[in-house]
This record gives sequence, structure tokens and C-alpha cells, in this order.
Amino acid sequence: MDPLTWSGSLGPFLNPLMLGCVLVFVAAFILNIVMSLIGMRQAEPIVNADHTISYRLGAPDYMLLAMKWAVFVFLGAIMIYILGGILQPSMEAKGIIGGVGAQFLPVWISLIVIYALSIRFKRRLGLYGKLFDNLIGMIGFGLVMFWVLTAIFAPMIATHGPIDVISGLRNDPPGTPVSGGPEDAFPYYLLGGDALGRDVFSRMVAGAREVLTIAPLATLFAFMVGITLGLPAGYLGSRLDTFITFIANMVLAFPVILLFYLLVTPEIIEAGVPVYMAAVLFVLPIGFLWVLLYSRFRAQPHIIKWVAIPLVLLLTLFYLGTVFRFDPIVWLATSFIGYLNQGNPVGEWMQTTRDSYEPLIGINIDGNLLIVFVSVVFVNSPTVYRIVRGLVLDIKTRDYVAAAQTRGEGPWYIMLWEILPNARGPLIVDFCLRIGYTTILLGTLGFFGLGVDPESPNWGSTINEGRRLLTVYPHPPLPPALALLTMVLGLNLLADGLREESLKD
Amino acid sequence: MKDDTYDGPILEIDSLSISFFTRLREIPAVMDFSCRVRPGEAMGLVGESGCGKSTVALGVMQDLGVNGRIVGGSIKFKGRELNDMSPTELRHIRGREIAMIYQEPMASLNPAMKIGKQLMEVPMIHDGVGEKEAYARALEVVTDVRLPDPKRMLDAYPHQLSGGQQQRIVIAMALMANPSLLILDEPTTALDVTVEAAVVELVKDLGKKYGTSMLFISHNLGLVLETCDRICVMYSGEAVETGSIEDVFDKMRHPYTQALFRSIPLPGADKHSRPLVAIPGNFPLPHERPPGCNFGPRCDYFETGRCDAQEIKMHNVEGDERHRSRCIRFEEIDWNAPIAASIKQEKAPIGDVVLKVDNLKKYYEVAASALFSSGQKKVVKANETLSFEARESETLAIVGESGCGKSTLAKVLMGLETATDGHVVLDNRSIEAVPIEERGTKTISSIQMVFQNPFDTLNPSMTVGRQIIRALEVFKIGKNDAERRQRMLDLLDLVKLPRAFADRMPRQLSGGQKQRVGIARAFAGGARIVVADEPVSALDVSVQAAVTDLLMEIQRNEKTTLLFISHDLSIVRYLSDRVMVMYLGHVVEIGSTDQIFSPPYHPYTEALLSAVPIADTSVKKRHIVLEGDIPSAMNPPPGCPFQTRCRWKSEVPGNLCETEVPPMKTLATGHQSKCHLSDEVLARMEPVIEMPGAELAAPAVENKAEA
Repeated sequence: MDPLTWSGSLGPFLNPLMLGCVLVFVAAFILNIVMSLIGMRQAEPIVNADHTISYRLGAPDYMLLAMKWAVFVFLGAIMIYILGGILQPSMEAKGIIGGVGAQFLPVWISLIVIYALSIRFKRRLGLYGKLFDNLIGMIGFGLVMFWVLTAIFAPMIATHGPIDVISGLRNDPPGTPVSGGPEDAFPYYLLGGDALGRDVFSRMVAGAREVLTIAPLATLFAFMVGITLGLPAGYLGSRLDTFITFIANMVLAFPVILLFYLLVTPEIIEAGVPVYMAAVLFVLPIGFLWVLLYSRFRAQPHIIKWVAIPLVLLLTLFYLGTVFRFDPIVWLATSFIGYLNQGNPVGEWMQTTRDSYEPLIGINIDGNLLIVFVSVVFVNSPTVYRIVRGLVLDIKTRDYVAAAQTRGEGPWYIMLWEILPNARGPLIVDFCLRIGYTTILLGTLGFFGLGVDPESPNWGSTINEGRRLLTVYPHPPLPPALALLTMVLGLNLLADGLREESLKD
Repeated sequence: MKDDTYDGPILEIDSLSISFFTRLREIPAVMDFSCRVRPGEAMGLVGESGCGKSTVALGVMQDLGVNGRIVGGSIKFKGRELNDMSPTELRHIRGREIAMIYQEPMASLNPAMKIGKQLMEVPMIHDGVGEKEAYARALEVVTDVRLPDPKRMLDAYPHQLSGGQQQRIVIAMALMANPSLLILDEPTTALDVTVEAAVVELVKDLGKKYGTSMLFISHNLGLVLETCDRICVMYSGEAVETGSIEDVFDKMRHPYTQALFRSIPLPGADKHSRPLVAIPGNFPLPHERPPGCNFGPRCDYFETGRCDAQEIKMHNVEGDERHRSRCIRFEEIDWNAPIAASIKQEKAPIGDVVLKVDNLKKYYEVAASALFSSGQKKVVKANETLSFEARESETLAIVGESGCGKSTLAKVLMGLETATDGHVVLDNRSIEAVPIEERGTKTISSIQMVFQNPFDTLNPSMTVGRQIIRALEVFKIGKNDAERRQRMLDLLDLVKLPRAFADRMPRQLSGGQKQRVGIARAFAGGARIVVADEPVSALDVSVQAAVTDLLMEIQRNEKTTLLFISHDLSIVRYLSDRVMVMYLGHVVEIGSTDQIFSPPYHPYTEALLSAVPIADTSVKKRHIVLEGDIPSAMNPPPGCPFQTRCRWKSEVPGNLCETEVPPMKTLATGHQSKCHLSDEVLARMEPVIEMPGAELAAPAVENKAEA
């Protein structure tokens, strides 16, 4: 089999068209700059007698129009490539671009469904709906959703396993046909193979899943911790505020990379520092949830009894199981049996039973992952804390907070139900931005070989691996780098859109 | 250079229309607006918020932002069309020929530049004069706006001055270029009444001295009466009536103007015999204006088929000079007809003492140095020996300017602060030292508060119903959710809001509606004492009347004691039974409403009364302008707190005022005053407000005059 070309059968028609678009765009751009330098201006709007607005267009306006259409035609050509990739039967006709586009079919379908539904019902969807009034926000949301959906459908999209090695395909360029692998394998390495002969495309897709599970979760925890500390510091003030702010400043002043190196040092891991840190950081959200529910439903005991208490107990079990690998039910059961068999030599049996039982609930987090998680939360939460504290200082002077005080509400109710919901706008925006930072941070960590499993398809690690042979084989690190770039860009645009729309209310 | 030979009208606006364009639609903000300002004339532009008065000013400045466009008509300044001017020409006119003064003085001053530098910039940029000349001019203008120690002022930063001083600097800055037209957009709204009176006086005098024409934008009819020669009343983007002050105030020819005057508490109004008449309905949104007359749906004289049939044009009122009205029926309406039989309300009998405050003191300790809190401490005396009683069904007004300690008093009553000394007795129990966390539900629910700012009083992310239900939950009212929901709906009925509002978010409500929800929330636990902290001052006049009446009605039915904090003496006179005047933490005078509003006065009360603008041409008022600003509570003057600004100080022998705090002196039953003035001096005092002919006033007012 021959290697695939980039553009397949559509290339001879579309490539010149796209090249033309680029040329038109550049030419129009330069002309526009020249015109503005010689003093030509864009058309001023003219108000007609019937109260409509029209424009008398001049040369600079036509240049802007040309640029706009060049972009549209370019994007249209890419659309045709993707459609061609989906519709044409043979891999040769699809080419690499078409082939990749066709692999993402589930993502395209879901994106279209999400956008159609969201735009149809945007007036009923609050802030999320308003996002669809904003082009920047829509683009950002599209980029983010693309990677979220990729993460969800990763097994359907990936052509090979992320760690499957076909040794004949080391560093082979994009579009190389597969030979020597299992019979039913996908017949091409769409984006080539890496230094170990693994499929670059599949690793990028699988990496999306890794990045998108850790980054949002870690950011969420950082927010929980930041909010739990920021609310009382801002609202109650005085010594507590001084103390927490001091600690936060200390953490902020500590060099991040050095902190990561320290955290992965074997001695520190053996001393159990990450586990202790996880124990402290993860208990805060549970306390947060309990106070949230209790302060709100104090007057409705049935909700406390049937919702709040079970939920918090469940989370506590989850917490114990995750952080300490400890299941109180097993422990109680074995202790009970031990108690019944007093005098019999059951001590050893108790110990082995306890050790061999996995906690009923709780995720067995890989030690390295726990460190990544802890360090991301640890680094991000002081910044979140400062934002929350600033917002609280502003909001607590409002009359509705005074109204709550004068009807005798407790401080936690005021913090969580009167202040926090009204600080949500800036917090949501910061959350989006912070997922972006965390993604980059995870990349950085992977790049240093810190924290994550070396085999992991994590984008940061993949970029790092490809770095060594970059001058000879640029194709392995580029796709994950572009993926990281587009996702962070999408998050930033999304945050911009959200900020703009939330200010408009 | 300036064209000094021109002698036509300074500003001629002819059928001006301004629209804002949004993604969805065109929103007309001003429609068919015409007015003419002659040299040296002051034109008042009056209307409620959203009526387009500020948009007119921005249109004159040609500063409508990206979305705003002038869609018709012309604006001529000294005969030159502003709409056709290039940005360069406009830049020459702005600041030099037309100057604007905004509401918030701090927002108009650059906080990082010294006052002198900011002032000197104006002539240096516009006239290209040298630094020395500019400095001389700045010094002259600062002296003109009557600021003490002008040289020091020029060397100060804006934040070192008080609000009143800042506004004077802004006025000085506007006058630096000796403009032909001065636009003042609510220049005194952010200031205290006595300071406002001084600034208004200043603006009037300067207008005369410099011969400047003025466009004075305000929502306060009384203020316009005091400052302007002509007035233009706006409603929903249109000028509805324009004419000289006398014509419009005494012979109004538009139903909206009439309704506006009936909804503000003039000295003749009384809550029992002549209640205020609120304008029914709501202000139309700009894109939902009715066909024909904009005021039609709220007008008493509305006639289907005529008022809503065609666009209404301005009509000349025969016999008056330049008096025009936008009403097609103005010739048919009987303008002198008495107010349609308003329901007379029985005055609820005043009951027993509910709340007794005795010698209450509240001091705050402020650390002098932030770093070492153990160092020296300064004591701020926010409340100094307050004593008063409040009875059931009584309205006690607490009057004073910012910094007088009324908010601290409210905090101590609510339990948010504990008193330093003295007693607050509620139902024979002392509560002054019990913070709110230790108060029982019953005590908390019996003292509740209504807040000032309607846009801040409700939590923006909770539905209206939920907020009221939360208050019910906290006050332990109702056994279950269903009962509480029912009670919440009853409360909405009580404040006359539709029950459908229960599921609305606060942002979907207007200011007046939010304030009603705030009242419903305060009464959720059957409050017996309600502290109303300026509950209507942030509302439009027509809405004020409705909310005030609602408060009165609930008070009558629930026998509530109302502590009404306000700085607006007209509304205090209208609704309160007794008045307490506060200054710098002291109660300077307390007595029944009649006693407070007639001589003998405390000197501060006298000045306050004089400072309140009254929108009635027949009322004669003596002008007493207080010098200087309210002293800081951190650093109060020795002796009598008011001695620094008192005009009667020379009547007290020796330096008694500067050394000794005057004792509380009983002048008549229930009337006490904290002043050193002797009885014969007090007897010499003349009334500040003189009402002409008692036939205009209701009987209750006659009593006031006698008292």
C-alpha cells in the first residue's frame, strides 16, 4: 500500500483555492494597513429618515469584506475536506485530513446536536444560553467541547491503542500504512508513529481523556479549598483573615517547580507528606458541603435527615476510601468478628481481611496521580482564595447581607447563600481560565517527567518525548502541542465570552 | 477664538430625536424635543429616571457613545449646528464653550493629580496661556467658589477634600474656561442637604456673576424652582410641558406635571387629611410606549380615540409667554378642580411606650496606627447620650445628615452592635448589650429594618418568594413549607404585589416593587418596630408617594412603631408624629412635628429647614446657608457639636458654646433642645417657611402655624 497523501482526492481542487484565500487575505490586510496610514477611514454609519442605519462603503470597507470572505472560504474548504473524509469510501481518496476528520465523526455529530439545541433554546438557558449571543464565546465553547467530546468518545476515535507498539513504524511519517501489526488493526498511522512505533494520533486522542479528567477535577478541588478558606477570611476578617492570607502569600511565594520536585522526592513520599496534604485538602470540600446544606435547611429537619446526612456520610466514606484506603465498614465488621471470637487467635485473620478488602467506595488513585492532584490544588487554591476574599469584602457591604444579619442568620448561611451565589460570575470565568492554566501545568509536569506514568499519553509527556528528535522528526510532538494550544485557547475564549455576557445583565 | 458678538439664543434644540441601537431593536430615548436657552438664562430639565433628560445633555455634548445616534432634529449652539461639526471643532467647543458638571464629583476628578494642576490644565489647553497666568486664574476661580484657604486647596489631592468641596472644585473647573453654557447633571444629588443648599446658592450666584446660561438637570422640582428661570418637564423621552417657572408651577397645563406635583409632599400635605396621590401604573419601557400620548395609560383625563389616536404635538398655551404643553385636552380640563375625593384616613391612636432609649452611647475605638494596634487609640463617638421613647402606632422621624450617627443607632437597636453605655428597653427588657446572636427569635422578629437602596436590598440570585419564606423560616413562623408559602403569598398581598411575583428574580422588578418586597420581608415576623432607613429616597417621586402610603397603611393596620430615618424634611413633615434631629451623634432637638417645624428652633434645625427645596412658588423661605462642612466624627469640635457652623453663636455670652456641651432643655411639653441660647433669643426666632393664606392649607397646617 502507498502512504496516504495529506489531502486525498479533493486536494487538486481545494488546495489552490485555500492558497488563494490566504493570498487574498494577506493582500487585503496589507492594503488595509496602507490605506489607514494614508488617512482613509472606515465608513461612518448614516442615520436615514426612517430611523434605519446604513453605511456608505469606501475602499477600506471593501478590504475588510475581502478579508472576511477569504476566512469564510478557507473555513468552507476545511469543512469540505472533513465532509469528503466522511463521505468518500476509500482511504486514499480521504487523505490524511479527511481520514482524521472522519475518525472524529461522533464528535462532529454531538457538536452539531449541542449547538442546534443550545441556539434553539438559548433564551431559556440563563448565562449558558447567553453565551450563544457572543461569537468569541461560541468559538471558545466549540473548541472546549471538541476536546471534551473527544475525551468522551476516545475509544471510538482512536485508531490504535495508546501504548500499542508496531516496531516497524518507528518515526514513520503521517499516512504510513501499517504492516506487521495485528490483522484487524486500522490500516494506517494517520499522523505517523513516534520513536517507539506508537500511533501519534491515537496517543493524542487518549491524552485528551487524561488531561480532561485531571485538570477540571483538580481545578474544582482548588476552588472548593479556596472558597472554603476565602469566605470566612473575607467575611469574619480580623486575625483569621491575617493568618490565612499570610499562609496563602507564603505558598504563592514558593517556587512552583521546586515544590513539585520536592513532592516527588522518594523520601518525602515515604514520609507520607502527599497523603497528609491530600487528607487536609480533601476534607475541606466535605465540610463545605455539610455547612452549605445545614445552614440552608436548618428549619427543614426532614431534608437534613434524608438528604444532607446520608450525602455527607457517603462522601466521608469516599474520602476515607480514597485518601487512606480505609473502609470503616470492613474495619467494624472484622472488629466485631474479632470481638465475638475473643480468645481465639483471629488477630492475623483480621489484619489480612482488612488488607485484602478494597474499600467499597473510593477510587484507588495512583500514587503519582495523587501527587499531581495535590500539587495542582496546593498551587492554585491560594490564588482562588484571594479572589474569593476580595469578592466577599465587596459583597458583604450590600444591604441584603445586612438584611440577613438583622434577621439573625448565622455567619455560614450568609457566606454560603447570600454572598457566594452573587460572586459566581467572576468565579465561573476564573474557573474556565484556571482549567487552562492547570492543563498547561499538567503539560509542564509531564514535560519534566514529574508525577505521571512515563507510558501515559498525557499531552505534556508526549511533547517531551518528541522533543528529543524534534529536528529530524517533527511530527510526533506537534499534534499534542496543537491539541494543548487549541484547548487552552478555547478555555480562554470561553472565559472571555462568559465575562462579557455576565457583565451585560 | 470666542465669538462674543453673537446675541441670539445660546442653545436652540429643535425637534431633536435620539435613539440607541441595540442588536435587537432601535430604542428611542428622546423624541421631538425642543427647547431654547437664552443668554444668562437657566433652564431646568425635570423628569423621573429614564425619561431621557441626561440623554439630551449628552446629545448637546455630542457624546452619545457607540450605540447612540441623533436620528432627527437639530442642536444649534450660538447659531452653529452641532450635529454637523467635525470632531476637531467639537473638541474646541467642549470644555471651553460648553462645560458639564456631573453627579458624582469624585468621578470627574483625577485622583492622582493635584487640584491646582487639574484646574490649570483647562486654560492651558484651550487658550494656550502660560503656567503663571493659569495659576492666577485657578486661584481666582477657587476663591469664587468660596473655598476656604484657596492656595492650600490647589495643592491638595481630590481625596483630601470633602464631597461638598469636591463638587465646588468641579464647578470651578467648569468655570475655568468661562463657558457660555453650563450643563449640570444632578450636581447635588450625592450631597447632604445643607451642603446641597450651599452649592445651589453658589451656582445661582456664579451664573449671575459670569452671565453663564445653564441647563440644570434634576429630578427635584424644589431645586429647579430655586435655581432656574424656565423649566421643561420630560416624560418618557418627550418634553411634555415647558414654560417659565411661575407658569408651570402655578398654572400647569399637562396632566403629568399636575400628577407630579400631587405626588410630592408639599408643606400643605398631611397624611391624614390630604394624603399624597401616587401616579397609578408604571413608567413605560422605551420600546413599549403606548400609541399616542405616552402618559395616556396613567392619565386621569385619558379619552379613548383621541389621546391614543395620533402623535401628540406641543401646543402653545394662549396668554403665557413661551408656555407649551403636549396635551390635546389641556384646554378642556378644569385645572383648578380639587383633588378627587381622596379617602380620609382615621389617625390610629398612639399607644404605650414600646421602645425606650436612655442615655445611649456608642463609641468606636480606632487604632491610630495600623501596624501596632496596641499603640494609641482614637475614640469615635458615634452616638452620644441619646434618649427618646417610641410609642405604639407612632412614627418617629430621625433626621440628620451623613455622619450624624443615625445608622449607628439603627445598628445598636438591631443588635448588630452593642452599646457602650446606656439602656435600650424593649418590653421592659434591656437589649442594649445583647448582640443579635443571643437575641431570641421573638426579639429579632419584632425589630426589623427596611433598607435604603432598592437595588441592593434583595439578594439578586434568589427568587422573591424564597427570600420572604427564608425570613419566615428564621422567625419560626408556619409549621411546614405549605403554610409558609401561604403566609408569603399573604405578605405579597399586604404590600400590593401580584402573587405571580413570588417566582420572579429581583432583577425583573422595578425599584419600587423591590422596596415593597423589602417591606414585606420586614413585616414577615409581625414586626412591632420597623426601622426604615431612608426607604424612599432612592425612588422616583411618583413611586415615593405609593411606597410611603403603603408603609403608612401597614402601620395603621399593624399598629407598628416606625422609626423613619430621613434627611428629607418635606416627607418627614408629611408622615411623622414626632421628629428627632441629630447632629454629630447628639440629639439636638426632639419634639412633635409641629414643634420642630415652627419656632423656636434649634439653630441646626433652622438651617436644615431652610436647606430643603420646596416646590411651591407661594411658599416664602428664608435662606440660611451654613458655612463649611460637617466636622468629622473622629475629631469633633469641643463644646457644642454645632458651634463651628452656628449663626447664633454670637448671641451666647462668653465662649460657652466652645467649652461646654449644652444641656438638654425642655422648651414645651415633649419639646427639647440642646442649645445654650436663652429663652428670649429663642422667642425672637422667626419661622423659616412662611405659607401664604391659610385657605390653601388644611386645618392641620393651621395648627402648625399657631404652635
